Amino acid sequence: MSANPISFAFSCIFVIFAHSAMLVNVFINGSYESLTPVITLAAAVLFLDIAYFVIIPFFRQSSYTVDFLLLLILNMSVIFQSCFGGVRLSVKHYITVIAALAACRAGYLLCRNYKWIQRQRKYFYIGIGLLFIIILTLTGSRRMWISLGSITIQPSEFIKPLFILVCATSVTAQQKKHKILCFNVVYENLALWGLTAMICLLQWWCRDLGSLPTFLGIYISGFLFRICYPKAKLSKKTFILAGIVLLAAALAAMKFAPAYVQERLHVDIWSDTNGNGYQQSRALIGIANGGWFGKGPGNGYLCNIFAHDNDIVFATVCEEWGLLYALMMICVILIMLAIPLINPPRSYYHGTIAAGVCAAFTVQMALNIFGSCNMIPFTGVTIPFISSGGSSMMASGFMIGMLVAAQSPIFKESAPKQKKVKSMRRLAQ
Amino acid sequence: MNTLNLILCAVAAATLDICALVLILTAYSERRSCKKRWDKLTGTMELAEQSMTYPLVCDEILIGRHASADIRLPDISVSRYHAMLTVSNGVWVITDIGSKSGVFVNGNLIKQAVLRENDTINIGVRRLIFRRRSDSYVR
Repeated sequence: MSANPISFAFSCIFVIFAHSAMLVNVFINGSYESLTPVITLAAAVLFLDIAYFVIIPFFRQSSYTVDFLLLLILNMSVIFQSCFGGVRLSVKHYITVIAALAACRAGYLLCRNYKWIQRQRKYFYIGIGLLFIIILTLTGSRRMWISLGSITIQPSEFIKPLFILVCATSVTAQQKKHKILCFNVVYENLALWGLTAMICLLQWWCRDLGSLPTFLGIYISGFLFRICYPKAKLSKKTFILAGIVLLAAALAAMKFAPAYVQERLHVDIWSDTNGNGYQQSRALIGIANGGWFGKGPGNGYLCNIFAHDNDIVFATVCEEWGLLYALMMICVILIMLAIPLINPPRSYYHGTIAAGVCAAFTVQMALNIFGSCNMIPFTGVTIPFISSGGSSMMASGFMIGMLVAAQSPIFKESAPKQKKVKSMRRLAQ
Repeated sequence: MNTLNLILCAVAAATLDICALVLILTAYSERRSCKKRWDKLTGTMELAEQSMTYPLVCDEILIGRHASADIRLPDISVSRYHAMLTVSNGVWVITDIGSKSGVFVNGNLIKQAVLRENDTINIGVRRLIFRRRSDSYVR
């Protein structure tokens, strides 16, 4: 149970209260023919709330705030997705939400003990390698999806948490320098550079350049933590050189980008409303139609547009629930990411994890929201937890589990190692 | 949309606001319990030097002259990256990370040593005491 049962109980009540207020709004303003879908939706949301509150105390964490915020945002997304085009429970989205919660628990259990996880570092490299092979062999010609009947999986989403783990677990390995010719080389730094380059190439090969900034965001946050690590020797020259390389790479990428990317970079959506600017122009009209308080759940027009529930989900929420509610939805995600500022991590490993997860989510949200508002080129990246999609949802859930682990870490050595130490002491005696 | 519906939308938005606020307050309340847990784990230790005290709030703490050091000792006799303090299973260990003047614990030159309460650490001309903290400092 929580160290403070009163604040735990209050948090539970207020999360249920927030969802209930949304459900009342659906009941009064929503578009439905009979009451059955509204009752089903309310039952599903409240059941998930209560079930999760009953389950999480068994995990004995020292902090539950991120879990509360996760549940708040996930059930908000269930209500949003269930109201697009008329109120009915979106069963597929509900199942992916449960999968995300399960992935969050898995992420927490895996990442909480950094002494243990640092010894498992090689498995993360192997995991990323396997995902590379799966993408190159099973997704078909230059695609990022694997189709299994009615289900499609995007393996590249699962690279994100593994990449964060590689960055975080290799921070301390920086002190192991090796002399090659006249250079002091850190193998882990070279491996991370190579991995980043390979991910960039893979994204280009899969024509999924929209996800590239997310990976670069994770790498940059990991890089910043590496140069802050004790004795990593913060060098202004390295800093300036890295900045110049990054700027040159960005300029080169813009100059030599494929034709379909160039088109998106220079598209005028209002002169091409039925071509490249189709989704963005409808999204902007939808946001304007919604105003501050929206047209009511299920009363929007954007649900008829392709990818209304993932690529332009921000605009769809704005149209049905209003700009105020959509901005608050984003605020809730940002608060979840900002919790490590209130309760700072106690190790560089957990700090790097928190920074990597925050970078990934912030970049993804910025790409989606600014892209659908025509402020930057449209990329088709999802908003974590709000957009539909099982792979994205599970990967995001796992990453939040890593954030939970950074809030409730374990610093004890694992039992087998202690036994080993005892046996060594006996030998010494 | 009529006035009643507008009010309902505003109420739903306000409820979400209040919920977010309550969760932020919960985070602050949990910070205290996390701090207690950390203190229990690390023995509430600190490094003291005349009028200065340095609470040990991370599992790896760099001592040195460089601006990026966690405990900065701006003295020419202290190397830029002098020593590292680490904690594991409640035991604090000090390690010399290639300093020029060395690290002395209770007068003995060491490469690595387990610290005990009231141990004296000499780093260059600076003298630090590893002792239990008496205040209730919150990072």
